[in-house]
Amino acid sequence: MLGVGERPDAARPLSDDDRDALAVLLAVHGLGPLTLGRLIVRIGAPSRVLEVARSGGGASAIHEAARSPGGDWASLPKTVAEGIVTAATTTDRILADVRRLELRVVTPSDREFPARLRAIEIPPAALFVRGDPTPLAVQTVVAVVGTRRPSEAGRRVASRIAAALARAGATVVSGLAVGIDGAAHAAVVAEGGRTVAYIGGGHDRLFPRAHERLAAAIVDAGGAIVSEYAPGTQPSKGTFPQRNRLISGSSDAVVVVEAGARSGALLTASWALEQGRECFVVPGPIDAVASAGCLGFLRDWPGAARIVAGVPQLLDDLGLPAGAALGPVRSITAGDRIVSSTVTPVSVAALLVEADPVQHAVALALLAGATTVDELVAVTGQTVAAVLGAVTRLESRGLVRGNGGRYETAGRLAAAPAPAA
Amino acid sequence: MLATLLSATLVALDGRVIRVEVDVAPGLPGFTIVGLGDASIREARERVRGALRNAGFVHPPRRITVNLAPADVPKTGPAADLAIAVGILIGSEQFTARGDRVALIGEVSLGGDVRAVPGLLPMVAALARHGVRRVVVPAAATQEARLVREIESVPVATLAEAVDALRARRRAPPARPARVELAATAAGDGDASRLPGPAVAGFGLQPGIPDLAEVRGQVEARRALEVALAGGHGLLLIGPPGTGKTMLARTIPGLLPPLADEDALGATIIASASGEGPIRGLIRRPPFRAPHHTSSYAAMVGGGRSISPGEVTRADNGVLFLDELAEFSRDVLEALRQPLEDGRVTIVRAGGRAATMPARFQLVAATNPCPCGHHGDADGSCVCARGVAEAYVGRISGPLRDRVDLWVGMPRVPPRVLVAGPEPEASAVVATRIAAARSRQLARQGRRLNARAGGRSLRAIARLTSTTAGRLAALAEHEQLSGRGTDRLLRVARTIADLESADAVAIEHLEEAARWRAPARRPLTALAV
Repeated sequence: MLGVGERPDAARPLSDDDRDALAVLLAVHGLGPLTLGRLIVRIGAPSRVLEVARSGGGASAIHEAARSPGGDWASLPKTVAEGIVTAATTTDRILADVRRLELRVVTPSDREFPARLRAIEIPPAALFVRGDPTPLAVQTVVAVVGTRRPSEAGRRVASRIAAALARAGATVVSGLAVGIDGAAHAAVVAEGGRTVAYIGGGHDRLFPRAHERLAAAIVDAGGAIVSEYAPGTQPSKGTFPQRNRLISGSSDAVVVVEAGARSGALLTASWALEQGRECFVVPGPIDAVASAGCLGFLRDWPGAARIVAGVPQLLDDLGLPAGAALGPVRSITAGDRIVSSTVTPVSVAALLVEADPVQHAVALALLAGATTVDELVAVTGQTVAAVLGAVTRLESRGLVRGNGGRYETAGRLAAAPAPAA
Repeated sequence: MLATLLSATLVALDGRVIRVEVDVAPGLPGFTIVGLGDASIREARERVRGALRNAGFVHPPRRITVNLAPADVPKTGPAADLAIAVGILIGSEQFTARGDRVALIGEVSLGGDVRAVPGLLPMVAALARHGVRRVVVPAAATQEARLVREIESVPVATLAEAVDALRARRRAPPARPARVELAATAAGDGDASRLPGPAVAGFGLQPGIPDLAEVRGQVEARRALEVALAGGHGLLLIGPPGTGKTMLARTIPGLLPPLADEDALGATIIASASGEGPIRGLIRRPPFRAPHHTSSYAAMVGGGRSISPGEVTRADNGVLFLDELAEFSRDVLEALRQPLEDGRVTIVRAGGRAATMPARFQLVAATNPCPCGHHGDADGSCVCARGVAEAYVGRISGPLRDRVDLWVGMPRVPPRVLVAGPEPEASAVVATRIAAARSRQLARQGRRLNARAGGRSLRAIARLTSTTAGRLAALAEHEQLSGRGTDRLLRVARTIADLESADAVAIEHLEEAARWRAPARRPLTALAV
């Protein structure tokens, strides 16, 4: 029997019946982990709850069974009880959804269940996992979160931090939202790293839909999309804050890159402090809307919230090899656990050792802040055709990327420190 | 008495000879026109009546029946006015025309003046093909009519002059100077006798066309424009407002070489049929059409009772510039499919009548990256909801994407480039290079520019070596290009090589061309919105 009072990590894994029953119960609207936990304590295993619901007594039977002898808890809302009865008769549909979406139901009694989540105040009754949740079991897990409307600079910082964390062997957790979250996930995937996204609704209600390909890429790269909610659950104003507690809860530290004054990312940061996680905030200009929340948080929590002074410094503060900010990491793994990382710092000079003079000049100009071909031509003194060809060669090597006529350094070149002038 | 004369009408771009039979018979006074005429032909009654009276003739109080034959050709426009008026004069025996097969084209005014009509050139050409030796035409369009050398054009300014010309059978009076037209919108820029000289000889900029020297910065887009025009490639400019997309496109007329004889004749016929104003000679300037994004389907592909040419046809052998591409209605963009693939457009009217018109235009388009225009701006000032930018450019559908060889981003020009950048090249310099690259292509592969080269002929003209072929394969793999995307890249590279007078495509040509590939699969880092 699984109950809220017991520490579930000691328990045997659930039987398949109970696991299915748990998935069905989680699909009942309004039945959160607390209520569900109490119900299971009163009635017994999840499958037993469904049996009672099917027994013919209907909602009142659930009520009857849930009534505690001491009378201290008899307030199971009527709609929830009715929802359980309905769910009990439609188990096939719900389970079919779970299978169609290729989800695994991971409960606290399972070995894959993120250990850090077991210790939070209200752990989820189960997680619906698409992909592989083992990245959550590595030594360092860091959440990178922020506003949905970042500046270009914020997006770039999020990418650099996430890529560096991935190279250092840490798992990056975020919320799959547009903006900072998406940039962080995408940067990890681009590094070939594994990242985990917690979503605020059912897997079939992925939000935003524009991130469906990103989600697929995360899973393909060995990461996971995780939800506390059963398929069919619409993400809402209420679910996202609850989801945020899982982002902070499964991490050792939360990094807020950019957050407006009322950003949800601040809520994640607050959860982190409450759950005893480290909390890092990237400061920004005092007149930047996208940084107002970050600065406000630093001001409100002096001493608790820490400043990100740079990517290597952040890695250092997290106890990760700071050199990962510069170059690729070779990870030595045993099974699915990373046991040690060695870092190969790569200087700009080393990266460009094979480059022809034009590539060299273009790369240095990009590092110095040029973004358009106009500027590249002006700085390098080369012809337009030569600059364009050099950009293509750098791009082929993954050192530069372009978008809408703007070019920037990418990959290892972006992580490399600018050479002394 | 029955009078039979010849005139012509216009069906799409073709002139059709029609017989105008006028019977003036005793009976109750009346005036009927039969023979599948449109509203403007029915209104010819009123114009002709007034013209006869005011020109000093008599509108006979008899039963007048006009038949326009053949009956199955729909007749449109006022071109038969003059023939009807003269037919009534002959039919009522007010004068006798000498000779048979009298042909007349022109609109008459109530005052008896003869006015120019759209489509005179193809109509006169049709009469010439029909074996007619002499045609009376509006004096205002003398030069246009005389582009057809096989027929004698007799210019007349009034109905009275027309009667004189037919009665006397003397030599035509010297043509009056053409009247000054207020809306001299599209005019020929060379007379018919001028031979095509060196590509850019005598090719000055016309007022209203901006010079490339006025466009500061945007060197990447300038280069892409040069390549696109040199090879006839489809070009799409993407960038926030105010970065000079429209300005750049508007310099195109000053960059294209003049049309060769055959193409110039086609362009002149289309201009004539479109009623673009007085035509003073063969039109050698390639057309540059820039329809507004609210243009209707019919305005774009052509239509109406007489099947008048639409923008795609009016841009034949020139450039069709679609500013704010994503704002065009989906129907209109879909309608570009056939012309983009076949180089012509077929319009089928009710009753099974169909017309095919040429539409071999080069597509140049510009669009904002999102509805507010600021997506991707460095300052992050885009106010569009997330996902909107993707949906916006996503409106540019398959067939259109396939015809765009060059996708060019135009970011904001940094102020220091605007102020202190190098002095930009002038249009004349760039035009010389474009003309040279085009003549290389035409000498090598006939009338076909690189943009229309495909499959095996493309491989043949590219002259890849094992080294360059390997680089092409590597680029295609890195960018995850489809077969079609690879061909596009190779075509653009071929044009870049032509601009450098290189016989074979080299690696640097491929690498430059790769900058402007279509945004195929987005890189992983671009997956996040």
